[in-house]
Formats: sequence, C-alpha cells, structure tokens
Amino acid sequence: MLDVKDVVTAYGKIEALKGVSLSVEPGSITCLLGPNGAGKTTLMYTIAGILRPRRGSVRFGGDELVGQSADRVVNRGIALVPENRLVFPQMSVTENLAAGAYLRHDHGEIASDLEKLFARFPALKERRSQPAGTLSGGEQQMLAVARALMSRPKLLMMDEPSMGLAPLVVEEIFRIVGELNRDGITIFMVEQNAHMALKVAHKFFLMEQGKVTFAGAPGEVAQDEVIRRAYLGSAKAT
Amino acid sequence: MGFVDYVQAVIDGLLFGTTYSLIGIGFTLVFGVMHKINMSYAAASLAGAYCGLVGPQLLGLPAWTVFPLSIIAAGAIGYFIYLTCFRFIPLASPLATLMSTVGMLLLLDEIVVHSTAGMPQNYPAIYDGDPVEIGSFILRADLLGVFLVCVAAMAVLLALLYRTRLGLATRAVAQQPVAAQLCGMRLQAVNGLTFVIAGLLGGVAGAMIGASVGMLSPLISGPITVKGLIVTVIGGLGSIPGAIVAGLLVGAAENLFQALRNVTERDIYVMLLLFVFLVLRPGGLFATARGRD
Ligand SMILES: Nc1ncnc2c1ncn2[C@@H]1O[C@H](COP(=O)(O)OP(=O)(O)OP(=O)(O)O)[C@@H](O)[C@H]1O
Ligand SMILES: [Mg+2]
Repeated sequence: MLDVKDVVTAYGKIEALKGVSLSVEPGSITCLLGPNGAGKTTLMYTIAGILRPRRGSVRFGGDELVGQSADRVVNRGIALVPENRLVFPQMSVTENLAAGAYLRHDHGEIASDLEKLFARFPALKERRSQPAGTLSGGEQQMLAVARALMSRPKLLMMDEPSMGLAPLVVEEIFRIVGELNRDGITIFMVEQNAHMALKVAHKFFLMEQGKVTFAGAPGEVAQDEVIRRAYLGSAKAT
Repeated sequence: MGFVDYVQAVIDGLLFGTTYSLIGIGFTLVFGVMHKINMSYAAASLAGAYCGLVGPQLLGLPAWTVFPLSIIAAGAIGYFIYLTCFRFIPLASPLATLMSTVGMLLLLDEIVVHSTAGMPQNYPAIYDGDPVEIGSFILRADLLGVFLVCVAAMAVLLALLYRTRLGLATRAVAQQPVAAQLCGMRLQAVNGLTFVIAGLLGGVAGAMIGASVGMLSPLISGPITVKGLIVTVIGGLGSIPGAIVAGLLVGAAENLFQALRNVTERDIYVMLLLFVFLVLRPGGLFATARGRD
C-alpha cells in the first residue's frame, strides 16, 4: 500500500534520512521503532508532504507522492497524527474536527462522522465547545487522532501517540488503534512503547541514524538481541 | 472649553477611532499568520484610497465609486505586497521582511507624491446629511457614516473568520501551521488571501480616513502608520478584539488630548499612552495566558 524507497531527506546539509526503504501492507498495523533523533518524525513528515526529500520515492496505491503538496497527500487518503499532537489551541474541539474535514464537501456525511467520533471519544463530546488548548494531554491526543480521522483516511500515520501519557490512557489509545484497524484503516505508527506495540502490530521496522536496520514480525522482534536490550528491557519477552 | 466640549471631543474621537481599529486589525491579521509586521500596511491602505480617486477624477465615474474602487485597489495592493515583501523573502530572518516592508512603505509614499505632485486631493464625505443632536451633543453626519461603514466592515470580517471555511483556514494557519497543512490547508494560498483581506479592510479604513478629513495628503501616511502600530501594541499583537477596543481608545484619547491641550501637542500624549501600556500591560489589553503548546 505504501512503498518508501531510498528516501533521503535533509535539513540544510545534514541528512536526517540516508536512504530509507520500507513498506506498509494494506490492512496491517506497522510499527516503526528507533532511538531519539533516528529520523522517524522526519520520515512521517516526508511521507505527509510537509518535508520534501532530496531523493527517493514514496508510492501510495501506485501514485508517486514525492513532489506532491501536503493537501494532495491528504486527498489521496493519508492522514498524520503529528508528534506532540499539534491541536489548534484557541479553537474549540468541534472546530478542530471541522479543520480535519477541511478538504471534504459532503456536509451531511461530515456531520454523521462527527457524531460517530463523539461516540468513540466521549471525553471529546463533553468538551466539544472548550478550547483545545485547555484539554489534558490525553484528551488532546484523542482530539489529534479524531481530527486525522475526519479526513476519512485509508492510511493513518501516528507519530508517538503515547508519548508522555499515563499507562491507562496509553492502553486506551492502543485499544482504539486496534478498533480502527478492524474497521479497515491501515495503521503506520512510530512507537517507543514496544511492549504495547508488540501486542497489536503485525510488522516492525527499526530505524537508527537515518537508516532502517531491522524489519520483521513481532516474533522476530522479541528474538532480536539488540531490540530486546533497547526496547524491552533485560527481562525476557513473553 | 467646558465639560460638554470634552465629552463631544471623546464622541468624535470614538467615531473616527473605528478607522484606527481597522488599521490595527489589518496589522494584527497579517501578524497572526506570518508572525511578522507589515510596515507598509497603513501606507498601502491610503494608496488604495488614492487609487479610488482615479474613478471620479480621471474616468468620469460618479463620486460614490471612489469608495468601492479604493477598497478593491487596496486589496490588490495587499496581494502585491505579499508577493514582493513576503512570499520569496527568507522568513527565518527577523529583519528581512522589516526591511522589505519599510522599503515598500517608502515606495508607495513616493509613488503617491509623484502622481499627485504632492498636492492634497479632495475626498468626498461618505454621508453629508444633517448632524444628529442628542441633548447638548451632536453626532457629525460624516463621522457617523464613517463609524457605520467601519463597524460593518468589522462585522463582515468577523463573520468571515468565524463562519466560513476560509476563516477556519486562516485561524488554523495562525495557530498551528504544520497541523493546518496536515488538514489539507495550503499555507501560501491562505497567507496570500490573508493579505488580500487585510488589504480590503485597509481600503475601507483609508477611504473612511479620506472621507472624514475631506482630503488625502501624503502627510497622513506617517501618522496613520504610527497610530496603527500603537493600536496594535495596545490591543495586543494578534488580538482582533484588542485592536477594535484599542482603536476606539486611541481615537477618543487623541481627540480629548487635542481638546485639553492643542493639536500640536496631541501626539505627544498618544505616545505617552503607548509608553504607559508598554510598561503596565506589555501583552496588550486582552493579554491572557496562552494555551498549552
Ligand atoms: N527542523 C530541523 N532542522 C534541523 N535538524 C533537524 C530538524 N528536525 C530534526 N532535525 C534533526 O534530524 C534528525 C532526525 O530528527 P527526527 O525528529 O526525525 O528524529 P526522531 O526519530 O523523530 O526522534 P524522536 O524520537 O526524538 O522524536 C535529528 O538529528 C534532528 O536533530
Ligand atoms: Mg520524533
């Protein structure tokens, strides 16, 4: 579904991605692991059309995304829940969701999607007219996910959705990820919480210093000595 | 001069102050999306009003056409300023757009001086009926017209910002540009349109300044730029309600100072007002704790 090939993205002279290749299967939950500064966020922004790669190709369902603007990428069916959530702080929850549906014109459907999302995220419904900046971290993360869903994506990318959140909220997020996947949305997520990710994800990639250094299924991840030490602690994975 | 005269001065000042509010809103709108000050904004607004005069003076159109023409011209100049002073200028450098827009300010003023030979140009009043009397006070008909037009312009702007798709995009880009792009909003298109909207508002302000003074002169541009900036600072950069209230405040205060002292001292006190605000309320009238981000 998503095929990334030899992507090089640089900030000025510094190459943050040094030829990244990976692919995401349709219907899967794919997880990208990697230490701080590995280039995970850079890859997400490159796919989303926010950053332009120097070289390489990003194909989505046969279309080349490199060179397309971010709005085209959204239109093709890719949504990104960005690192740090990036909600619109002075807008109400409802307005944030309306912004997520910016490229859609089917007003009746938008209204019914809004109600469905409020049913899925009851905390957001309660706070529908509150400025997003006043929500808790967990609520803001839910809002960021809901906003991305308002574009009706086929592929939902999430950049560290559990960062800085309490264990209960993290579980809630992973439960929702599983639900969305069962509803037919392909998920590509950056996640440091490998224990949680191992429970839901079908495929893993490890990125280090701008390169993919490991790819495998959950079973192989648990076997891999390096990943185990870095992400699963010294205890044997179950 | 008695108490009644001072109240009258404040009333006149409040009515005229709506033009300052519009200029303040224009500075604030552009600051909202670009995080930069467009120094040429007030000059562009007045240049738009000058362009409006082309209709009646050179094309023989009826006098009232000066108003819509001024507004349209100022909107077009706004987009021109976006293209020349912002679009291709490195925004990371804080000084670059300051230099480009100050350059544009001087250029626009220079063009106006050359094309009018520096002579003041008569500008029609928006409405010249009888003044409205309320007790011992009067509302000048022309100022009342200016007031109503400016308030209508603000109402249209607020409806645009809070009731339309374009307004949603403008606010989204101002608050969180990366997320706005992820929602499918096109940064450059929204920025350009914001300049056009600010320009149109400036055109209303420029035309109404001409209509209440009765003429346009190259000498107006400097003071209006300064007062627009003062209004923006007092209102708080990025705050539209702040700009509206600050515009009224500056309009009322300057007229009161003029009545209390005289016209030559007036602007000294306006500057002092700015000073007081910078010391006591540097974040502006409605400064609030910013949301978490
Ligand atoms: N705007 C930027 N300008 C310059 N360098 C940047 C910029 N953003 C990121 N980098 C650099 O690119 C590299 C990759 O950063 P990136 O944010 O993609 O890492 P990451 O894997 O997402 O890390 P984290 O786990 O901390 O989120 C880092 O070395 C970082 O310093
Ligand atoms: Mg990151």
